[in-house]
Amino acid sequence: MNIRIWEGRSAGAPKSPQVSRRSFLRSSVALTGGLAAMAAALSPLRELTDEDEFTIQKFLQKHYKEMTPEDMEVALDRIRREVEKRYQVRPDIRDVRAKTGVEFVYALNLSRCIGCRKCVHACVAENNQSRSPEVQYIRVIEMPRGTLDMEQGNHHYERPTVPDANHFYMPVQCHQCANPPCVKVCPVEATWQDADGITVIDYDWCIGCRYCEAACPYWARRFNFTEPSVPKEALNPDMGYLSNRPRPKGVVEKCHFCLHRTREGKLPACLEVCPTGARKFGNVLDPTSEVSQILKTKRVFVLKEEVGTLPRFFYYFDERYPQSIDPEAAAIARSMGIEPRPGEGVPA
Amino acid sequence: MMPSRLRTETVLWAIGPLFALVAVWLFFFSPKAEIPLGVSRPVAHSDILRGAWRTPLMDARESIVDGIKRPCSECHRLFAPSQAENRTLMQHKEIVLRHGINARCLNCHDGADRDKLVLHNGALVGFDQAPLLCSQCHGTVFRDWQHGVHGKTMGSWDAASGAQRRLACNECHDPHSPAYRPMAPLAGPGTLRMGDQTPHESHAGRRSPLRQWSHGSPAHGDADPSGTSDEDKEDEP
Amino acid sequence: MRQYVTFLYRCFRLSFVGTAGYYAWMFALSAVALFGLNAYCKQFVHGMGVTGMTDQVSWGLYIANFAFMVGMAAAAATMVIPVYIYRNRELHDLVIFAELFAVAAIIMALLFVVVDLGRPDRFHHMMLRFNFPQSMLTWDVISLNGYLFLNLHICGYLIYCSYRRREPSRLFYIPFVFVAIVWAFSTQLVEAFLYCGLGGRPFWNSAVIAPRLVASAFAAGPSILIIALQVIALNTTYRVPEKAFRTLRNIIRVAMSCSMFLLISEAFTEFYTDSAHVASARYLFFGLEGRYGLVPWIWTAIGLNLTGLVLLILPISRLRGPMLAACSMIIVGVWIEKGMGLVIPAFVPTPLGEIVEYRPTLNESLVTAGIIAFGLLVFTILVRVTIPVLLGELTFDRPYTPNRNSDSLGAPVSPSSATGVH
Repeated sequence: MNIRIWEGRSAGAPKSPQVSRRSFLRSSVALTGGLAAMAAALSPLRELTDEDEFTIQKFLQKHYKEMTPEDMEVALDRIRREVEKRYQVRPDIRDVRAKTGVEFVYALNLSRCIGCRKCVHACVAENNQSRSPEVQYIRVIEMPRGTLDMEQGNHHYERPTVPDANHFYMPVQCHQCANPPCVKVCPVEATWQDADGITVIDYDWCIGCRYCEAACPYWARRFNFTEPSVPKEALNPDMGYLSNRPRPKGVVEKCHFCLHRTREGKLPACLEVCPTGARKFGNVLDPTSEVSQILKTKRVFVLKEEVGTLPRFFYYFDERYPQSIDPEAAAIARSMGIEPRPGEGVPA
Repeated sequence: MMPSRLRTETVLWAIGPLFALVAVWLFFFSPKAEIPLGVSRPVAHSDILRGAWRTPLMDARESIVDGIKRPCSECHRLFAPSQAENRTLMQHKEIVLRHGINARCLNCHDGADRDKLVLHNGALVGFDQAPLLCSQCHGTVFRDWQHGVHGKTMGSWDAASGAQRRLACNECHDPHSPAYRPMAPLAGPGTLRMGDQTPHESHAGRRSPLRQWSHGSPAHGDADPSGTSDEDKEDEP
Repeated sequence: MRQYVTFLYRCFRLSFVGTAGYYAWMFALSAVALFGLNAYCKQFVHGMGVTGMTDQVSWGLYIANFAFMVGMAAAAATMVIPVYIYRNRELHDLVIFAELFAVAAIIMALLFVVVDLGRPDRFHHMMLRFNFPQSMLTWDVISLNGYLFLNLHICGYLIYCSYRRREPSRLFYIPFVFVAIVWAFSTQLVEAFLYCGLGGRPFWNSAVIAPRLVASAFAAGPSILIIALQVIALNTTYRVPEKAFRTLRNIIRVAMSCSMFLLISEAFTEFYTDSAHVASARYLFFGLEGRYGLVPWIWTAIGLNLTGLVLLILPISRLRGPMLAACSMIIVGVWIEKGMGLVIPAFVPTPLGEIVEYRPTLNESLVTAGIIAFGLLVFTILVRVTIPVLLGELTFDRPYTPNRNSDSLGAPVSPSSATGVH
């Protein structure tokens, strides 16, 4: 085969050295310009920081379920180093596994909730959520009376005091569904339901497609749109691998019932901070637990039952006469001023 | 018009410099990608303290008068007890008695032994046994409290482990005015690019039979739609 | 094998040869693609926060364009069906152009998915834990890559046979053609299932989404083909039979009518029922609680689609100008309807009733423009090397000597030179 495959720009015309030289020069100029433009286009990559550093170890880290105890130790070691470098705090990080014979359930008494948003901020502090941009797992919705249609609620209520006489308050967080749509849709199995009913996320496996965010009927999932920022002094060093360790940017996170606490017997932060005792948490398989008592004796309901997610988060009302419209409470507020008296809360 | 060949040559010569222009622009003038992080409103650590909401008197000897800790009886043996309803106090002026029909001091405090509380049957109990006293009127709430349904438990969720502490009635409620005091809510959400969130009139509210109180205007904000009766509040905490 | 590598190399060389217009067009596309690359690098460094997306509206322009491009890819079937099922031999070669466009469209669709990922560096996790068959996204990955392979195979094989001047063996491509027809529908189906399987988003949770996607894709896809074929007819010596435009126009008429019909069905169900689930549709068409972000878009889209449809039904659309105008309207209309109209309203209000509007940022618009430019670049190169092969100018046994005056990419000089090998 003897064909000319180098079809030059001036192919077909007799080539003079001059034309050829000009043609070569022209191509070189175009090529140089093109490469320069390409390099310039890639130039923002110079701003990559330590957090974005590519390491073989991170790249090869296995899926949580495939990790051996040794693999996990290696991963925990890496996280310890990273946290220490960034926050100058030595974290107590561990991989807390689900206990057998435990299925966690949450119950929330809407008659008691006063909408003070303490749970929201206690959760942020406990779980090292990004302060800026803001990531919060709990949303408290101020609802008008006579409806459970959340489109009529207000997420952004600002009042001198709560509760308001015309509203009730409905906090929403991850419902840890028994039939979770978010788990179903994840293309890489980065999120799954553990034996104790908590749906967890492997932050080192999530690819950030946000399909789970679209699938969740309770708007419980949050995405790290940028590198999360937690002030050094506010970092909670009590950490779990699947719960509140610092997250990288570009992954999804959500409420995990404080599993680094609850799997060790403690109560979730949102419950401990609640000033009214509206929040109840426990093991539904234990018939004497508080949540079992509530499920037995109260008329409980779940949000959006029609979507078939079988939540483990129950709401109930428990009184005949809503406290929020108690004229005496309003009178007391007036007589005593609107600010709560200092020093009434004590550390646990 | 240029001959097509010449035009091609011109364009080809132009490509290199044009790419260079693109390069210069991308390198030096490409705008920074902005992320409007928003104003984060931090909350004070004291706003999210965990545990009991009040620190009540658990022992009559904790009573502080003139900066000195002393038992209640030390002063009260000097004064005769009064059975008046809602009387004006000379001391303990911070106490406002708003407890429905329960409007006498000596309904709960023992007139003779001021270091004790008194039950309906005349039995004396300590300040740390307030739930026994409350249960006399608030039976159903007391039953809920016993099962952990009402009130708050600290410690562990695991009843079997026993590491639980159920807060007493007066660790949340002020026995003199038990209704919960309204409080200032902590900062509302300020998420990325959430835009203006001043509330708008809801479209669904107009036709709702509940409209007159479901979207309460200040005009009927404090109105009590069902009328207050003390019977209704018997089960109230 | 060596022959094949030589063929690819000659195609590569050929893609750098053309007229002034070709160079200008390629430069413009490269420049836009580079701007897009630059914007994407910023997104890669700073995170998805540089886009207008939020936790409330967690999918935006990228997924909207992804939906549109999957539709465009599937629209290749609109050329294949008349040729292979209705034996319309005259249009045989045009199938190749449709499939080349499908290839470019799938590449764009895949790029839109990649830029939408928060962690593109973990893309390989897809290979390691593939949540098949639970996750519809894994179905989508299979359907798109499968379709890409089918189209690359079919048109690659036909073009290479033409280059080698031999009759293509029917066994090697006819079965794939028929698989590809079914596959085209299935890509649309899987794409629709991605959305309509989510019970928490009532706006998507509707069985009519899949037929709507097919109908609108089969309207916009042929519209792009008409424009592409017109450009080919005007700028090269390749002769596009008039019948191609007539066939495509008929397909658009039917598909656009179906699309409108389905839109009306959907709108009636939503608004006549007037249940709580109507909120998203209300936001889209009329605005909700003082927010009107999508209202001008959707009515523009409906206006463009209707005008385009009426224009195409009128005989005037036989003329080139009105036909191109109608096609452009339909492309833009469907692009808005599928993007702003299908993806975004499902997130407004959120499942908890919060209303946060979505507005694409400059950065993500640049990334989007860059991907589209890159896709057009790919399509232009594919067409540029295909035409001389189909015309018999570029074959394995003789050098290609593009004389500027008779170059297949030059101005049409003599129709007699334009004879295909088939």
